[in-house]
Amino acid sequence: MKANWFKLALAVLLAAAAVCFTPAASAQTAPRKKIAVIVSTLNNPWFVVLGETAKARAVELGYDATLFDSQNDTAKEAAHFENVLAGGYQAILFNPTDANGSIASVLKAKAAGIPVFCIDREINSTNAATAQMLSDSYSGCVKLGQYFVKTVGKEGEYAELLGLVGDNNTWNRSKGFHSVVDRYPGLKMVVQQSGEFDRAKGMEVMESILQSHPGIKAVFCGNDAMAMGAYQALVSANKADQVKIFGFDGADDAVKLIAEGKITATGMQFPKTMARQSAEFADAWLKGRRDFPQKVPVPVELVTKDNVDKYGDYGKK
Amino acid sequence: MRAARWLLTLAVVGAAAWLFPPFHVVPLKTAAAADLAAAFDPARFAATFWTNRLLPALPQTVKAETLLPAIQADPAAARTRYARGTGLGGSYFYFLSGTGRVAAVSEDEVLLVVTSGTNAEVSLPAGLIFGNALRDGTGLLNASDYPNSQDFNGLAEALNHLAETQAVPPLRACARPGAKIFFAGCAEVADESTDLKPLKVIPVAIAEK
Repeated sequence: MKANWFKLALAVLLAAAAVCFTPAASAQTAPRKKIAVIVSTLNNPWFVVLGETAKARAVELGYDATLFDSQNDTAKEAAHFENVLAGGYQAILFNPTDANGSIASVLKAKAAGIPVFCIDREINSTNAATAQMLSDSYSGCVKLGQYFVKTVGKEGEYAELLGLVGDNNTWNRSKGFHSVVDRYPGLKMVVQQSGEFDRAKGMEVMESILQSHPGIKAVFCGNDAMAMGAYQALVSANKADQVKIFGFDGADDAVKLIAEGKITATGMQFPKTMARQSAEFADAWLKGRRDFPQKVPVPVELVTKDNVDKYGDYGKK
Repeated sequence: MRAARWLLTLAVVGAAAWLFPPFHVVPLKTAAAADLAAAFDPARFAATFWTNRLLPALPQTVKAETLLPAIQADPAAARTRYARGTGLGGSYFYFLSGTGRVAAVSEDEVLLVVTSGTNAEVSLPAGLIFGNALRDGTGLLNASDYPNSQDFNGLAEALNHLAETQAVPPLRACARPGAKIFFAGCAEVADESTDLKPLKVIPVAIAEK
């Protein structure tokens, strides 16, 4: 009887020791490393996908990840960097608000020994961020420009809605598009105005354009949010069938409207690819890797009615 | 005594300011000219690159007579062996040269048959040139060397302009059915279902054989 009690007590002790010293239990007590994801704005679904995917991949890789919204404001972005540096984060996945204005924050992180991986938008420096994963907006808009000429023709008036004027992507897209379209003298841009990459602003600007230039045949928009806003304005003005809309991003709602024949084309960026890669680079850095390419271009693909069935969910099906 | 101390301090401060001036006054025109000189000039850079690096690199191209049958046999294997890619994604480039006979001529392109045995063809644009095949196709230029991607993109446009002015005119001059032409250039493959049949080669050098 005594021996049974002894065996039982020994078994309980062994079980308790097993629970206390399993690797999982040890891991629970060790604090997980933290990664910050700082995104220019969460007021645009495309950037929500970018930020959430980066965060999710960081979590998959075993980190605590927090998403910060800069609301397209460099001052808010700088405050996020201050909080992140003070908060013990080990890496930053960063979608900047301004190619020049965001450099100081990245340099501050670098000085503190925290690697920064830029996603989608670049900063105008090659010695601040650890690496930059950048959509090849220029080449994407060269393709859009060629398709524009093919579908709109070589003559006619058109409008352009620019994005944020301080962002390089705005000009890379505009210049890529104009590198093609400006070669056709019959195509005349009658107005070029910023819609700030924002759907509501895009609609507002388009409404104003339609009043001052009712004869335009097409509108080239620097992103899909503005293209959606332009589409709403055209529907309200009963001109949706008369004006061709070209967007950029590959946002889901724009891709659906291409399938329905309401938007002519967009450039598919791959936010999930870029976001995942940034988290994987951060993970590799934290595990000791130091040889990263400064700029990693991510090609953009043209989405039209002819191939729209191949695209969706912010990428290729 | 106090005045002497002040004088001494002023003299020291004055000497320090003279030796290490805290700022310089520069006329606005001079400053603007300096900014302009420091700015990246894609056309000038492209012209130097074309002559000093691109043309001397032509012997390193893959021969079309080798590449085209390889693509016909196995595009994936040909890509692995002869292509170069940039960044993340599916696009890739060939830097190639070869000789072929003109099969067709239109306003925008010249079609060459390179290897008659396999009927492998390449298309050479003979009008406006767009895209970044010449910038990215050789491996001689790297995006990471350019802090502002707008400069790098300007370079693509400048190289296309050089192709339009240096390679397209001799191509048009000798483009008649049956003519034998040497070509060298870069081809981008973004979609294998359309871009391989035929390969569209942005020309760098053209010569009638």
